[in-house]
Amino acid sequence: MTAVAAKPAAGGAMNPTAMAIGLVLMLVIIGACWKIAPGLGLMALIGMIIGGVLIGFGTHFVPVGGAPAAMGQAPGIATGVPMLAAGAGLAGLFGGAWAAEQGLVVAFVTGAVGGGLMMAITCMMVSFIYVFGMGIPAASGKVKVDPITGDTQPEFKSQGTEGHGLPFTSFVGGVIGGLLAGGGGTLIYLMLLDLYKATLPGMMNATESQIMPIAISAAGIFAVGMFLVNAVLTAYNITGTIEGPHDPKFKRWPRAVVASAVASALCGFVAILIVVM
Amino acid sequence: MTVKIEVVAGGIPHTKIMVAGLLASLVCLYLSYLNVVTKTEMFSFFGGLAVVAALLWGSHTIKVLCSYGIGTGVPSAGMIAFGSGVMGMLLATKFGIAAPIVALVLAAIIGLIIGYLSNDVLNMKIPTMVKSLTELAIVGAFTLMGFAVLMTGSFTFANLMSGSVTFLGQVMPSFQVSFIGGSLIATAFMLGAIAIQHPFNACLGPGWTQDRMLILTAECGFLSMIVAAFMSFALITSGSALISLIVALVGWGYTYSEYMKLGKRDAAAWLDSKPIPDVEEH
Repeated sequence: MTAVAAKPAAGGAMNPTAMAIGLVLMLVIIGACWKIAPGLGLMALIGMIIGGVLIGFGTHFVPVGGAPAAMGQAPGIATGVPMLAAGAGLAGLFGGAWAAEQGLVVAFVTGAVGGGLMMAITCMMVSFIYVFGMGIPAASGKVKVDPITGDTQPEFKSQGTEGHGLPFTSFVGGVIGGLLAGGGGTLIYLMLLDLYKATLPGMMNATESQIMPIAISAAGIFAVGMFLVNAVLTAYNITGTIEGPHDPKFKRWPRAVVASAVASALCGFVAILIVVM
Repeated sequence: MTVKIEVVAGGIPHTKIMVAGLLASLVCLYLSYLNVVTKTEMFSFFGGLAVVAALLWGSHTIKVLCSYGIGTGVPSAGMIAFGSGVMGMLLATKFGIAAPIVALVLAAIIGLIIGYLSNDVLNMKIPTMVKSLTELAIVGAFTLMGFAVLMTGSFTFANLMSGSVTFLGQVMPSFQVSFIGGSLIATAFMLGAIAIQHPFNACLGPGWTQDRMLILTAECGFLSMIVAAFMSFALITSGSALISLIVALVGWGYTYSEYMKLGKRDAAAWLDSKPIPDVEEH
């Protein structure tokens, strides 16, 4: 009778009406932005929507196991999406922020590599702990044959579990997810930073070097906020756990892409309003 | 086919907690305006009290939302609360004296849309989802605004963006020594996000009792307030920061002892053991 034993209620069904309403809402927000802040503001908003969609889509690749994984009863990394997002995605964001002065492409790639690297290290350490610490082999519960290596899975799966450990495809999925999410987070940061660098000096009567701490900090906190909103929306979409790109739940990604695009447009618009109002 | 796992049996109804939390944090945020009226920074501690009031409301909202079994763990609710709250709060600070009210409205709009996205686009189909995420966004915005008041003594955009440093006896304006320029907002973000999700995460289960969870929330809030009060030494006068620190310490000490009492009340049995057992002398 508590939340502990609760089962996720969301199904895989799409809701076309709600998705259409969401997309219309996004277009309205883009239109409002075009009216209020054409040019740089609109560019930043579009960049932030792309970044948000990358985060939402990328999180689907990450093998999130949650509490069952910690008990060796389900495959994946033994924690929730917010923790993985904060760990891997923000590592990418910080990596990209360091390279922000070297241009959009370099910073974007640096952010993506940072996120992917962090996920690779996480997946490796998780596998170490599963195999040598808990003594469980990697076995997927959702597929019979690993899509990449072709290894059979059911022989290694313990009875009564949904699989355990971290199968190879999940590892690869984790790295891809880190690449996409880290790159997306960096893109949001870069877009806001460019916008703030251009508008804050006029707004506060100061030189660009003086307002740099504010531009960096404000862009950073907005990027973190939007990152967490997108990651949690994706977590709601996959109802907490997913094995990786081979999981049937992965097919739900269109819903999360729409939700992330609308949420990023909304949050990005608010972040733009701060400097243009 | 959502199954409501647990009903709020007994205790204070959620609506009452919501109204009380909303009013208390709004009043506390506005009481900090005494700083401007009296031209001091002595009343900054009201920001910390607003944080505690908002957190009490927020942790009960998380309880209402998470008792449906959203499947993502309790911390996700705290993260989305502050992710959506920080947007509304920062934009609202531009509206001067109206900032808390504007933060309430803006965060409600953002939370409403994110709630709609979760419930309908992502097909969560949880009856209280939209209402809960709206409440959580407001709680996130109020908590961050409360921390801003606690650390800087003000909730207006200009004061959060710029501070002053005293160098060789001269006071110079500086954007770096400020709530946003110094990235204190990032610390406030995490202090609040952890304080809002921890109480229900720690207290959930068959032995959940409302008063124990709420007193733990207050304890987490005051604990965050202690850290924030230490940070406020950099931005406001030492005397005012000291008042905040003392209020936080007293509040934390009281709520901690109360929580221990309630913890012992709800426990099946307990043994007052010592960390290092006494060695018998022979």
